[in-house]
Amino acid sequence: MSRLDERGYPGSIHEGWNVADACIKPLYNVSVGAAEVVVTVDLPYVTSKGVKLRCPDDVLEIFAETSEKITFKALGAKHRHGEFTSYHARIRIPVPVDERKISSQLKHGVLELHIPRVK
Amino acid sequence: MSMRLSENDGFQILETAAIPANSTLIIGLPDVGLVGLLASSHLISTLQLEEVGSIESDRLPPIIVLHGGVPKSPIRIFARNSIAVVISETTIPSSLLRRLANSLVDFGKRKKIELMLSLGGMAIANRQDINSPQVFAALSAKSLETRLNGAAEVLEEGYIVGAYGLLLRRCAAESIPAITLLTQSYYNYPDPEAAASALTAVNKILGMKVDVAELLNRGEEIRLRSKDMMHRTHEEMTRMNKSHEYDLPPLYG
Repeated sequence: MSRLDERGYPGSIHEGWNVADACIKPLYNVSVGAAEVVVTVDLPYVTSKGVKLRCPDDVLEIFAETSEKITFKALGAKHRHGEFTSYHARIRIPVPVDERKISSQLKHGVLELHIPRVK
Repeated sequence: MSMRLSENDGFQILETAAIPANSTLIIGLPDVGLVGLLASSHLISTLQLEEVGSIESDRLPPIIVLHGGVPKSPIRIFARNSIAVVISETTIPSSLLRRLANSLVDFGKRKKIELMLSLGGMAIANRQDINSPQVFAALSAKSLETRLNGAAEVLEEGYIVGAYGLLLRRCAAESIPAITLLTQSYYNYPDPEAAASALTAVNKILGMKVDVAELLNRGEEIRLRSKDMMHRTHEEMTRMNKSHEYDLPPLYG
């Protein structure tokens, strides 16, 4: 996966919607503080049970299953076909962090992750 | 269909139906949390406003939007009775915002608009911890504070980056009543809850009773539908240094 992908959106014409993998690329934010990195991810249609995290090396990987099947048609796009059952994001973390100490919370459909920085 | 065309600063406003004099002109451009766009879209559908015009420019990207199979400008004007709403369904390049703001103010003057009411978001770091986003107001004149009717807290200090700031400044210079409502919201996530709070404030200011339940009940769908628009808006906000809004003004009184 390219570095561009890790910023959230690939350069393809179907940015953010991977029909082949039934997967949506979510919007997210990365904020680097003195003691921790805070990542938030916008995950409508997701409950906390459906979220899985991986953080190998400097990349945070987020998988989240949607609570229902989402289709382009239901979102008002008749000219596009596809259905989605999950979100997937690869987010590059710009500073060294202790990935074993990630804490996470899903509030109002926004996943909030706190990852302590390595001193 | 008769059509009236006016041109200012490279922007053409095509009117297909008359806007009553002394209307309130509500402006919902893509911005922080898409608050203005979501709130204005909800107003248009709930009040069943009619399309009365469009805004065009050779300077804008070559984009049209299809609605009901009909090609339309992404920037359009809707109205009914004494409410008119301008929305943009596409991001507007930051280099064109001054021209657009000037065009809207000139349009408002020509139409004898009684109040220009811009709707936007104000990013807040802990937005997910807030259940009822607060609404702030920047005014073109102090005397407008009474118009707020307790709907919003007046912003005394700070920066506003983008079309709304330019519009407010020009309205202040020309003594046109203008209020910019900025509602606490996510920065780059579509925020229908913030849009609902903004409309609750609009209700108080204009004495309306627009129901915001649908914005809240269909929040997840709205967030997902607006994801791509938010992404493009975020890119444009970065280009115009939108984060400047969160700086503290260096001068003190």
